[in-house]
Amino acid sequence: MALLELNNLKVHYPIRGGFFQRVVSHVKAVDGLSIQIEAGKTYGLVGESGCGKTTTGRAIIGLNKITEGNVTFEGQDLTKIAHKNQHSLRRDIQMIFQDPYSSLNGRKRVLDIIAEPLRNFENLTKEEERRRVQDLLEKVGLNPEAAFKYPHEFSGGQRQRIGIARALTLNPKLIIADEPVSALDVSVQAQVLNFMKEIQKEFNLTYLFISHDLGIVRHMCDEIGIMYRGRLVEQGNTEDIYENPQHVYTKRLISAIPNIDPGQRQASTQARQHILSSYQQDLNNLLDPEGKPLALKSISSSHQVALP
Amino acid sequence: MWKFTLRRILIMIPQLFVLSVLIFLLAKAMPGDALTGAMQANPNVSPQVLAEQREKLGLNDPAWQQYGRWVGNLVQGDLGKSYVHKIGVADLIGSRLANTFYLGVAILVLTYLISIPLGILSGRYQNSLLDKTITGYTYLSFATPLFIFALLILFVFGFQLGWFPTSGSVDVGIDPGSGSYYANKFYHLILPAIAGALVSTTATIQYLRNEVIDTRLKDFVKTARSKGVPESKVYSKHILRNSLLPIAAFLGYDLTGVLAGNLFIESIFGYPGLGQLFLQSITQRDYSVVTILVMLSGLLALIGTLLSDIILSWVDPRIRIG
Amino acid sequence: MGMRAQTFAPEETIQKSPSSWSILGKELIKDKMAMISLVFLALFLIVIYGSIFFIDQEAVTKVDLTSIKAPPSADHWLGTDRAGSDIFGQVMIGARNSITIAFAITIFAAVIGLSIGLIAGFFGGIVDNIIMRFIDFILVLPFLMLVIVFVTIVPKYNIWSFIFIMTAFLWVGKARLIRAKVLAERELDYVQASKTLGTPNWKIIAFGILPNLSSIVIVNMTLNLAGNIGIETGLSFLGFGLPQSTPSLGTIVSNATDPDILQNYWWMWLPASLLILVLILAINFVGQALKRATDARQRLG
Repeated sequence: MALLELNNLKVHYPIRGGFFQRVVSHVKAVDGLSIQIEAGKTYGLVGESGCGKTTTGRAIIGLNKITEGNVTFEGQDLTKIAHKNQHSLRRDIQMIFQDPYSSLNGRKRVLDIIAEPLRNFENLTKEEERRRVQDLLEKVGLNPEAAFKYPHEFSGGQRQRIGIARALTLNPKLIIADEPVSALDVSVQAQVLNFMKEIQKEFNLTYLFISHDLGIVRHMCDEIGIMYRGRLVEQGNTEDIYENPQHVYTKRLISAIPNIDPGQRQASTQARQHILSSYQQDLNNLLDPEGKPLALKSISSSHQVALP
Repeated sequence: MWKFTLRRILIMIPQLFVLSVLIFLLAKAMPGDALTGAMQANPNVSPQVLAEQREKLGLNDPAWQQYGRWVGNLVQGDLGKSYVHKIGVADLIGSRLANTFYLGVAILVLTYLISIPLGILSGRYQNSLLDKTITGYTYLSFATPLFIFALLILFVFGFQLGWFPTSGSVDVGIDPGSGSYYANKFYHLILPAIAGALVSTTATIQYLRNEVIDTRLKDFVKTARSKGVPESKVYSKHILRNSLLPIAAFLGYDLTGVLAGNLFIESIFGYPGLGQLFLQSITQRDYSVVTILVMLSGLLALIGTLLSDIILSWVDPRIRIG
Repeated sequence: MGMRAQTFAPEETIQKSPSSWSILGKELIKDKMAMISLVFLALFLIVIYGSIFFIDQEAVTKVDLTSIKAPPSADHWLGTDRAGSDIFGQVMIGARNSITIAFAITIFAAVIGLSIGLIAGFFGGIVDNIIMRFIDFILVLPFLMLVIVFVTIVPKYNIWSFIFIMTAFLWVGKARLIRAKVLAERELDYVQASKTLGTPNWKIIAFGILPNLSSIVIVNMTLNLAGNIGIETGLSFLGFGLPQSTPSLGTIVSNATDPDILQNYWWMWLPASLLILVLILAINFVGQALKRATDARQRLG
């Protein structure tokens, strides 16, 4: 059984307008998304900005209201659980935020930031709390002394580690990582990503990894879903997506990954142009009348694609 | 654009309603009613007659019926009667309205005469000694309470130097309607208007200064300059024109404060306008006049903000969407 | 684990940005006017509150027919008024009353405005809509006239009535300001993070958002304090401020409503007027310096 299962998830925002500010239509940020994530794996949700990937992550953790559909976590439907009982489920799902600057409250010490979930869920003495926080700090590769400093005394990469430590505090099962490295220097990105892989093994974590960067996703993920206008256009394991992309949108994203070998530059530029022209010709045939991707069809046991 | 304007006007209707209810309740809470005045005039009226009178005037009806009648009368122009002056409130207000209107206009005109040049100069010569002096002045005029400022001006220019009259709106014994009558009225107006204007320039000066500094570096101004447009024309034609509408919008907000600001000015300069009437009426417990004046002031404020919001929505489309 | 700590230690260079409190402090010291104002205010507060032990209100307001309208002298530093009472003593007592009451109004208005602004901004939606309509309405009311009306019709009028009436009108501006700030603040990830960590809303508001607004609140309260001294003394000047038993600086200035006194007995109104002016200016200087400190664009550098 999958650890997390999204079934026909929809998140719609009302648009108000007209004379009396009535709801005139909806922005369908997520419009019928179904995903299964196995325990201990990393699922990559990929797409351009505005495709609804962040909204999906935030809807799972309860920051965005779900309009329709189910989110099943360990067999329990999160959308049907009363608000009160969600509290205990909170500790099993945590989030790593994109911006390590705004996601840490600058007025709090690192100790207070990391201990925040502990104070909500566990009754520890000051001493126990401090020890837990310092253990975590050491696990994420920071000096235990860091507990008594303020976030502005750290670099972006270090701040993101603090954010990760905070997400780990309650020993969660699932971590939603929303573009966890895109605000960091490229030189630091790899460090943080490798570190995330290490702790995945250590804590037996499952990741929902949200990103626009296909290079990173290939490095991190076991399963990948390509999102476009609130729906999946293609889904499969890493090999399916990178070696055998079927949807023209996926092809285009993959062709855009820069190639390091200078000798290949000519060839890859041509390939890219070829894909671009077929993308412009074919994409409209692959969308329904609303401009949304078609339903997914299986083409192998692991690989589904939205083709007619 | 029309949609916003219309919606903005519609919002005013409930505001007007709540305002009138509030003032009606206030009027009810004030000691005395329509008969108190009559009682003062003739203390020998028996309580029985008084009770009958009350019944006849509907003062025992449920509050909402009395409210309905009160609003009905207001709309028809029946503002009630002043117990003290024994004339209709409408007439009483009418006799003072002109003075307050002149004072209000004089203050507005002076405010803009002072603040527009100062604002532009301050922005144009940013960080110069002139700019610093003007900024210092805006600090002072922002912080100084109106009544202190008015007193000091009256003391210095009215009493010590004797340049201006110290009280009233016109000298007695001048033939109304003659040229010297209006000259004399104007003479009486100068000092109060200066006092009112000098403390209300801050917002406009600061706005214009920032606007000039921001616009000065924009491309269209650079283009004008590079085409050889003289510097003074750059300021008058290109920069000022862009800032005039928002400044016009301040006008509406200024309207909201006209009566309140005049409380101090009229009482200090002994200027017979509505502000002075309000203070006199409340001291003399002439509550029917007080009620109408508060209502009038509230109405003026509603209209003022309405005008400002509409002008601003023309200038800045973002406001319209909200 | 120790290995990892070592490898990560020389990561990027750490840009240590100063905390906002030290910026406030620095800006104050750099601005000479603000610094002078602050020192003056501190000394002045010590003097007027210390004078409780030396100046007796009974003695000061005592009618002394032997020294009516006496000019300043060694006995009466600022002369006497129509009833022969010492003006200097009145100014001390009046300043104490005016400042204390302005403080009280500022704090009450801040507490109410802050709570309502935080709630409206944080929860948004229909609650926010209703609160904002209400605030917009109060803001267009003719504030001064209504205060005067309330002051005259409230039965058993005392200092607390005055504070209550003023607070009833003055919380709205603060609520509006705070709401706008919270609206921006609540979208930041640290608030979202707190939600995902299971922190209850009231804790997020009180311990998460509020500390981040503290500098704005302090600046705003400083400027309001100056404004409230102006409003209170102005109303007292007109005779609709503090009750008779509690003389204010404005009450002393109201001597000047008599043209004879305004013209010929300057000590009966001018010192109190100038004191109001200086107090308000000094508080404003401090407030403006603090404001510059919170707005990076305006900092003196």
